[in-house]
Amino acid sequence: MAGRHKHRETGTSVVIYADNYINDIEGEKLEEMCDAFLEKGFKKIVIDFSGTDLVNSIGVSILIGIIEKIKGKGAVVFSGLKDVNFQIFHIVGLTRHIRVYNNEEDALKEGACADGASL
Amino acid sequence: MSGVDLSLERLLFNLNTLAELGEEITSPKDFTRVVKSSLYMVMGTFSASKGIVFQYDQSDGLFTQIASKGLLDVRGAGLKISKDAATAIIRNNKPIDLKSADPVIAHLGPGREFLERLGARVLAFLIVKDELLGLIAMSDKFSGEDYTLYDYQLLSVMAQHISFSLHSHTLLMRLMYRYNENKGLYENLRRIYYDTIHAFAAAIDAKDAYTKGHSHRVSSYSAAVAREMGWTADDIEGIRISGLLHDIGKIAVDKSIINKASPLTSNECKELNSHPVIGYEILSRIKFPWKGIPMMTRNHHEKVDGSGYPDRLKKNDIPLGARIMALVDAFDAMTTDRPYRPRLSFKEAIDEVKDHYNRQFDPEVVRPFISVIRKEVLAEVENPTIVPLMHEHLDPVTLSRILDGFPR
Repeated sequence: MAGRHKHRETGTSVVIYADNYINDIEGEKLEEMCDAFLEKGFKKIVIDFSGTDLVNSIGVSILIGIIEKIKGKGAVVFSGLKDVNFQIFHIVGLTRHIRVYNNEEDALKEGACADGASL
Repeated sequence: MSGVDLSLERLLFNLNTLAELGEEITSPKDFTRVVKSSLYMVMGTFSASKGIVFQYDQSDGLFTQIASKGLLDVRGAGLKISKDAATAIIRNNKPIDLKSADPVIAHLGPGREFLERLGARVLAFLIVKDELLGLIAMSDKFSGEDYTLYDYQLLSVMAQHISFSLHSHTLLMRLMYRYNENKGLYENLRRIYYDTIHAFAAAIDAKDAYTKGHSHRVSSYSAAVAREMGWTADDIEGIRISGLLHDIGKIAVDKSIINKASPLTSNECKELNSHPVIGYEILSRIKFPWKGIPMMTRNHHEKVDGSGYPDRLKKNDIPLGARIMALVDAFDAMTTDRPYRPRLSFKEAIDEVKDHYNRQFDPEVVRPFISVIRKEVLAEVENPTIVPLMHEHLDPVTLSRILDGFPR
């Protein structure tokens, strides 16, 4: 699959590690990755930010793009957010649309999760 | 617009974005990438899901898309404004809410509908020094919140940053366009110039059945000697051109005199000897990019002992280029057939040079001339010009014998 983002598949879920690539326009590949996983039948995508120092405005823009793109197609959740990133996601309104978990295990454990429409 | 309510985190986020935007627009990255990154930064800052950057062309009033995100393909779709609209936008110079009653919106005409169809809510025009360069259009916020007064202020600052980047790029593109245009024109001009000079040289040589290619040989021999003497590339080019044109005055001399096999009468001699002055008169009216061409032409029959013509100049009074040409002109005349005699051998020609050393020919020029021949025979130069045109084989031993006793 195209993209520089590392990922881990587990059952019908997949965890994608955003790392710091999300802060560059190249990070847009994440959008295609999410779309492709959902097309392949994965039910849940966890984007993990434990390796991301500080999400910048480009990162925010890319994440909004992902949410818009997968609207109604499946579920995307976030995990491993550092405090500063949680604050940023909160002020730009991302947390209103995406469920956020402490870590990827918690995110994978949760049975029901949804996109913006069900929150 | 709602009031300003900023958290510390929001300020930090915005500050970081401004710093990154500043870094981005001054980076040496590809322009398209810089614009795209800048757009993403603006969109991320205001959490807008759709955005587009247009570049404005003031010659036709058209906005062309240069980056976008979250939009369907808008290629081919046009946004065009009048000159008056551009003036109003420049005068207003602040971001506008497309849903507001801002008078600038009326100037957009059908463009407003086009922008609304794209999902645009806020417009930030890119303006530098009263020049409209482009436009950023953004959708409503993803968060559903309204744009605040502070947002408009921040957007204005960000748009200014991006305007500078667009301005630099526009200047660079204009400069490149002009440069390429001028370069093309210059090359064209240069080609025409050289073609004309070569045509002239061919026309001069065509008057004399015996001197076919003489001007070209004088040109390349002179250049070879000048190069050996350490002249600059520009001056070498000048003497090369001068060599091609040195006999241009012969155009005015009767063809029968030039090709006469028997000795010339004094009147005929006078007419033939007038060619350097006629040449000078023709060439001094032309504004050459190289210096000295008319004088080199005028004085290429002078002799260092002052017995030459037309000005009977002595040694250092004769321009150096003319002294070089006097030698190679005589040398080529000696080594090619003439109406009144067959060509001399290389040895005979060198003996003539030896005999007239420091009388007709300047030692300062003869020495580098001999040096060029020696280097050519020893294959020390990449493109030999003199030796290959001699009608005999010259090896180092023969040459050494020929040059034996030559003043060093």
